Amino acid sequence: MKIIRACKTCHYLTEKESCPFCSSPTSKRWRGYVVIRNPESSQVAEHMNIKKPGKYALKVM
Amino acid sequence: MNNTDSIQTDEEKTKIYTIKTQVGKEQNTADMINSRAAKSKIKIPSILVTPELRGYLFIEAYDKERIKEMIKTISYARNILEGDIPLEQIKHFLVPASAVAKISEGDVVEMVSGPFRGETAKVTHIDDTKEEITVELFESVVPIPITVRGEQVRVIKRKEDEKKKEEKKE
Repeated sequence: MKIIRACKTCHYLTEKESCPFCSSPTSKRWRGYVVIRNPESSQVAEHMNIKKPGKYALKVM
Repeated sequence: MNNTDSIQTDEEKTKIYTIKTQVGKEQNTADMINSRAAKSKIKIPSILVTPELRGYLFIEAYDKERIKEMIKTISYARNILEGDIPLEQIKHFLVPASAVAKISEGDVVEMVSGPFRGETAKVTHIDDTKEEITVELFESVVPIPITVRGEQVRVIKRKEDEKKKEEKKE
């Protein structure tokens, strides 16, 4: 089973050791789950300052 | 002109609805909604699963009826709650509280997962940044400090409550 990791900077969820967007290291420990499909029209994305669609964690440890 | 304006305004405003799900399947439900939305082209700008609220997820959408129809085909989704909620009411979920925020040194906790599940222990140290706590099991003969994650324990007796009881006795 693949382990999903979260970027320590932008919280983007990926399977990689470093974030494909910001190249920051990723962590195995994260909580909360947000799927952003359309950041332009999403209130949640605006509040969380997310500009790219994808899956994100709410908190990364 | 006015007509176009009103359409644009409607498009801009999304509403946040709450969907009841099977407990523990919130993330799976969110993924299924995401894939169904991609196939059916229903406009769902975001789906939110918060660790604090088990058995529920939030969905940002325009058309409640279409969502209602869509979740009928998702086995983990139970139903959609009546009415929408403003973003202000769920803002605090977007910044989840630390798992160790409500735990303090000296508290008695019960391990809820991991190899020591069911055992009781006393909290000796709290690491806020890592959201970890160090505990000493009551039943072990030699007190060995064990470090576990904050979400792996449940507080069963607070140190403050014990202090108050002792003060009352005096």
